[in-house]
Amino acid sequence: MTALLAAAKNPHVNLTAQTRIVAAVLAVAFMVMILELIRRDKLQERYSVVWFVAGLGMLVGAAFPGLLTLVAEAMGVRNTNVALFSIVLLLLLGLALNFSVIMSRQAAQITRLAQEQALERAREQAAEERETGAAERETGRARS
Amino acid sequence: MRTLVFIPAWNEEASVPAVIGGVREGLPEADVLVIDDGSTDATAARARAAGALVASLPFNQGLGAALQTGYLHALREGYDCCAHLDADGQHPPAEVARLLKEIYADRADLVIGSRYRDRGRAESDDYRPTLSRRIGTGVFRFFLTLATRQRFTDTTSGMRAANRHVMALFSERYSPDFAEIESLQLAVREGLRVEELPVRMLERVGGTSFLTPLRSAFFIFKGLVVLLVGQFRPRVEAER
Repeated sequence: MTALLAAAKNPHVNLTAQTRIVAAVLAVAFMVMILELIRRDKLQERYSVVWFVAGLGMLVGAAFPGLLTLVAEAMGVRNTNVALFSIVLLLLLGLALNFSVIMSRQAAQITRLAQEQALERAREQAAEERETGAAERETGRARS
Repeated sequence: MRTLVFIPAWNEEASVPAVIGGVREGLPEADVLVIDDGSTDATAARARAAGALVASLPFNQGLGAALQTGYLHALREGYDCCAHLDADGQHPPAEVARLLKEIYADRADLVIGSRYRDRGRAESDDYRPTLSRRIGTGVFRFFLTLATRQRFTDTTSGMRAANRHVMALFSERYSPDFAEIESLQLAVREGLRVEELPVRMLERVGGTSFLTPLRSAFFIFKGLVVLLVGQFRPRVEAER
């Protein structure tokens, strides 16, 4: 209750004890969810690190709200909430970009895989035609 | 000189047999490979029946990926030179033979068949481009010439001939999105000799151009971004 009153007196720190508890619970639930996804093979470990860091960040922010005020002051932002939102937005932007990079890499890999398969088929056809004495070629020639 | 002629084809069942026939007639010593870019029609079957080897991509990957498949095949199977032409019948095989002659004579590493180099000859009779295509061609011509400091007239030509240096380069680095233009920039940056040769082109036998005005605008925008970025890419010395 005293914390609530103290928070209410300071107009720049809008994190009440209640929001801090909610944030901490959400952060823990989030990390448990990530662990569960890994356990069920729905998420690969290498893509989970970044989400774990995000969950930890949430937890740290909830545990030490003073840290957030410090960061806000360093950014020159009066309102801590604005600082919080901009940081989260930037992080999400970075994450989205990270996914685009991963997607591009996988698209290149898929293309190469498709090419390899196509060339394998062509080699198979060439081998078959050598075996059958290029019979198909002859019929093709006759047709054209 | 072992030569591979490859033809990227996407749903070109109407025209592909005639093109293969033309190549086998005009270039009897060359092997013919059709790269079927995930066609949903009978392109692969007709190409096989017409006597070509067919490499079927399991799904449509775009022209760049299809062409790269051809270069990869040529490189791996040890061909000395390769050439490619469009499957829609725009490119007369006799002209491909002229491109290949430049490669045989080692006058260039990569030869592009240009519709525009010799204006009087190419444009007046056989080939008449649409307005949006003319604008696009003009823009690309200007910027590619700026980027490479070499005069190019037909930047999007799908008729080319190349030697093994080019095969090695293109089978590793070939943009799937913007193959035609970026590949020219890449080849010049890597110090390869790129030449243009005026060629005669015909009206397409089957299929329609994929360019609508809106698509053209997007195409041009994308091309400019690609060219700009390409100027700052790190060089990989072509294996020479």
